[in-house]
Amino acid sequence: MRAEQAEVFDLGYQPYTGPREGRARARRAVLENGVRNLLGIGRGGRAKILPVLLFIAAMTPAVVFVAVLLLVPADEFIPGPADYYDIIGVVLWIFGAIMAPELLIPDRRDNVLQLYLVRTLSPADYLGARFLAFFGVVLALVYSGQIVLQIGLILSASDPLDYLGDNWLDIPRFLAGGALIALFFTVLPLLVATFTTRRAYAAAFVIGAVLVSSFVADGFTAESCTIDTGPGGSSTQCERGIGDAAPYVGLVHLGDTPGRLNAMIFDSDPTESGPSRAAVAELHDIFPIGFYVLLTGGAGLLLWNRYRRIKL
Amino acid sequence: MALLLEARGLTKHYGSTIALEQASFDVQEGVTGLLGPNGAGKSTAMKLFLGLILPTSGTAMVLGEEPYKSVEGRARIGYMPEHESLPPSVSASEFLMHMAQVSGLPPAHARTRAADTLRHVGLDEERYRPISEYSTGMKQRVKLAQALVHDPVLVLLDEPTAGLDPAGREEMLDLIKRTARGFGISIMLSTHLMGDVERVADSVIVLESGTVTRQDSVAQLTEETETLLIEVADRREKFAAALAAKGVAAADDGKVLVVEEAGETEYDLIRDAAAESGARLRRLTPRRRDLRDIFRKES
Repeated sequence: MRAEQAEVFDLGYQPYTGPREGRARARRAVLENGVRNLLGIGRGGRAKILPVLLFIAAMTPAVVFVAVLLLVPADEFIPGPADYYDIIGVVLWIFGAIMAPELLIPDRRDNVLQLYLVRTLSPADYLGARFLAFFGVVLALVYSGQIVLQIGLILSASDPLDYLGDNWLDIPRFLAGGALIALFFTVLPLLVATFTTRRAYAAAFVIGAVLVSSFVADGFTAESCTIDTGPGGSSTQCERGIGDAAPYVGLVHLGDTPGRLNAMIFDSDPTESGPSRAAVAELHDIFPIGFYVLLTGGAGLLLWNRYRRIKL
Repeated sequence: MALLLEARGLTKHYGSTIALEQASFDVQEGVTGLLGPNGAGKSTAMKLFLGLILPTSGTAMVLGEEPYKSVEGRARIGYMPEHESLPPSVSASEFLMHMAQVSGLPPAHARTRAADTLRHVGLDEERYRPISEYSTGMKQRVKLAQALVHDPVLVLLDEPTAGLDPAGREEMLDLIKRTARGFGISIMLSTHLMGDVERVADSVIVLESGTVTRQDSVAQLTEETETLLIEVADRREKFAAALAAKGVAAADDGKVLVVEEAGETEYDLIRDAAAESGARLRRLTPRRRDLRDIFRKES
């Protein structure tokens, strides 16, 4: 058989005649790029270290709890799905504080944003895609530990089906609570990231704001107790320094804002989760819900407005 | 010729600063130079056409649509900004692939287009290196490539030769010319360098202090004048004296003799003077205007 002579031509740059998928493709590309940036996909090893560590940190408590359950069956002291978000709250704040600036700041600082906005993308498309990318990754972080915990709880039960039948409500609860938490931890850090072109400043501000608000809220809502020993026996008197204002001051605890709603969803005891949550629980439910809506919605509107008026 | 850009009474004020005032002009197929000194309103005009900013009054139409009303019309527009606007940590290949997708190309096509476009602008193996390691010239090429990657009908280039050394400038102008002539992509080139416009543009719009002072084809603006340039091989003094004796005023600029407002009679007298003096003429040609003259006359 005679070998056919073949020649490879490099046609080089040619007019493009393939499909054009317009605005939908543009939005999807920005979203996918955001997820890749956040997780360090396609980047060097260093870019992957932080997201991997934070995912491990978010899942480790669940793995430990499940391991304890397997070793000591029916251990009632193991925290359940209601408490899990409180346990990993610090991880979520750190993730939000450090990773949100990674998503928005480089595009503005390096002037890449104008290259996006001269294409078939509006500022709303761009921001929406970046927002969904961040929300999706935070949601995955939030749910990852809960999923491990749920699977562990079910499998470690003496009768998994019975356990599932008795506790099925935990699943929609942790999904709803997790979504509220992820939304909060998405909007606020993203908003802060629009005010600076220095990633470190944005991260420091978010972490600082959470720490300061927690010190203020917990400090003012903590009860000081005195023990009276009278002729009729001893009694304990507890009071807060700022009296009736304490529940309202407790609201300013930024880190606990979504956690309070999660506690409501799970109907868990607020007194077990710090003085500010216990103080806020004295208010009608509308206050913590309203505060969450105000903070998240307001931050969302402000975020949108920052990009709507962006100067290029 | 298709009308690509259309400005009608286009005005942009930034507070009390007037960036553009009642500018009206058309841009058709081919290469158009938007020429003017720094601060003339060139970048503002480009941003208005790209929909990045809103006009104070007037309209800017791109391919028949107002760019700030619909983003869909931008699918066939490319833009190369003046200032650095590249992500330093990613490779040119990855960046272009992403930008092609943001322009609506599916991922598989985006990959091929990115490679082809980078090769077209002269970046081959370097395309896998992070952009932060590139020279200014290479970065300019990546900026041009991202403007071309989705095969636009029209590309707006803002000062594409800024910051380049003479060799880099020549290469960039060649690339622009090749892109326009070879692939039929229309280009609007904003620059303060007249040489750039003369080298690559078919037509020119002159902007000064936010207003359009001139719009014409480059050929028209650089048409022949009535000034004659005479290059004499030998017996230069005798030839000059013979011209003077015939009443033809010729200024000597060192290299050539320059005769202003030369008509039919002057041509005959020059011929006679050459014959009488025995001088050999190497060149006898009407002078072409260059764009510098336009600025000189209008200022």
